[in-house]
Amino acid sequence: MAIVVTVTSGKGGVGKTTSSAAIAAGLAQAGYRTVVIDFDVGLRNLDLVMGVERRVVFDFVSVISGEASLNQALIQDKRLEQLSILAASQTKDKDALTEDGVGNVIEQLSDMGFEYIVCDSPAGIERGATMALHFADHAVIVTNPEVSSVRDSDRILGILQSKSKRAKEGGKVKEHLLITRYDPVRVDQGEMLSKEDVCDILAVKLIGVIPESKAVLKASNTGFPVILDAESDAGMAYSDAVARFLGEDLPLRFVTPKKQGLLSRILSGGD
Amino acid sequence: MPVPKIRLNRYSLMTLDWPKDSEPLENWLRGQYEIAPSLMQEITIVLRPSVEHRTEDIRHAVDVLGRLGIELIGLTGDPCHRTAAATLGLSWLSSSTGGVESELGPCKIPEDSLRERALVVEGPVRSGVQIYAKDRDLVVIGQVSEGAEIMADGHVHVYGRLRGRVAAGVGGQTGAEIFCVTFEPELVSIGGTYCGFDQIPDNLRSARVRVGLEANAQTLTFTSMG
Repeated sequence: MAIVVTVTSGKGGVGKTTSSAAIAAGLAQAGYRTVVIDFDVGLRNLDLVMGVERRVVFDFVSVISGEASLNQALIQDKRLEQLSILAASQTKDKDALTEDGVGNVIEQLSDMGFEYIVCDSPAGIERGATMALHFADHAVIVTNPEVSSVRDSDRILGILQSKSKRAKEGGKVKEHLLITRYDPVRVDQGEMLSKEDVCDILAVKLIGVIPESKAVLKASNTGFPVILDAESDAGMAYSDAVARFLGEDLPLRFVTPKKQGLLSRILSGGD
Repeated sequence: MPVPKIRLNRYSLMTLDWPKDSEPLENWLRGQYEIAPSLMQEITIVLRPSVEHRTEDIRHAVDVLGRLGIELIGLTGDPCHRTAAATLGLSWLSSSTGGVESELGPCKIPEDSLRERALVVEGPVRSGVQIYAKDRDLVVIGQVSEGAEIMADGHVHVYGRLRGRVAAGVGGQTGAEIFCVTFEPELVSIGGTYCGFDQIPDNLRSARVRVGLEANAQTLTFTSMG
């Protein structure tokens, strides 16, 4: 049976899609057959971040409604053999997602031999988000070090443990915390919540801290999952996070301010 | 012939004390009858007349009760009334075993008579989650997040950080209390009296705190549990 990993946050714009793409690519790099599904019907973005926007013919909703087969809708990633993408429909809305329909697609993907199904949840707590977390075995909660994002994550955790299939059957969805857009300098100056503050409020095991990085925006714009950019700090932080998700024990990187050399301090005007 | 089945059973019966001056009791009973006539008809009782009563007084009592539809099983009390019971055709129940004396009057349910055991919840209780322990205490093991609401008719205990809203004695039980290990709530309420985080004494924020309601039921009292 495939393992369903839902990437969710409650709040929008915190980096769910970037993280979904990175986690899916990371799992595929680790050798697992992985598929990433965009649940943001009507506002699809994952295809852009994965760089497959020109290759979308059929999508998740057309599979649910029976217009296309799953094989027709799955897009094979050109960089990673083990990775496939299932795009969202841009013309439909989230009511197109039915519990039976989504369950059916997940079952079929499982039968096809996929080991991990990564669900990229839309923002909010409405239908799209609840459908994305309904079949979750694991949930990666993406949070920015900022109070409103943390509160929304707390809310989505509550929904996860009450409305997901596992919770309804008396079980528990395994929770993982991923802090994104972390700026150690601003944390030191007290402008941002520290990772300790966030962990203290949410009480969820931390699997990674992704630093605020120019590499992320560049990666999104070029359709290249940032985790494949092994030179960038964000790419390395995502690789670490995926390794921790898979059970490795690694120390956190990029969580303390970089020591600036004298030359760079002079060049940046003593900033 | 089959073996007859005979068992020793104990039955609980209500005993009504019939005082020397029975006038107020009669009026009270009539008042109750007007409020809930059908309820009275389901009551079966044993009458314990005051020692001073003679047979005629007891007959009067039986008549009063009969008119209210209260079924009388028999008499009990002082052995001097034994003959009266025979005269009135009632059975005699010897009261050798002292029952629990209860004062007859407006029925008082003690505030802490929470019949069910406490509701125990394993936290964290997340933002947006509401928990209500009806007619009982609530125990939360773990934290209660900001934006969560925990409520109970009885006491509330939180073994963790309390950041959400908390209400004890929701059904008006002013004796209910709140016990918390790390006290940082958004809102505290007991028996409908509430206050916000700002009104909590500074030195008790994040402390081990017990919250109760003062006798006047107007003010919440916060005490440190050290």
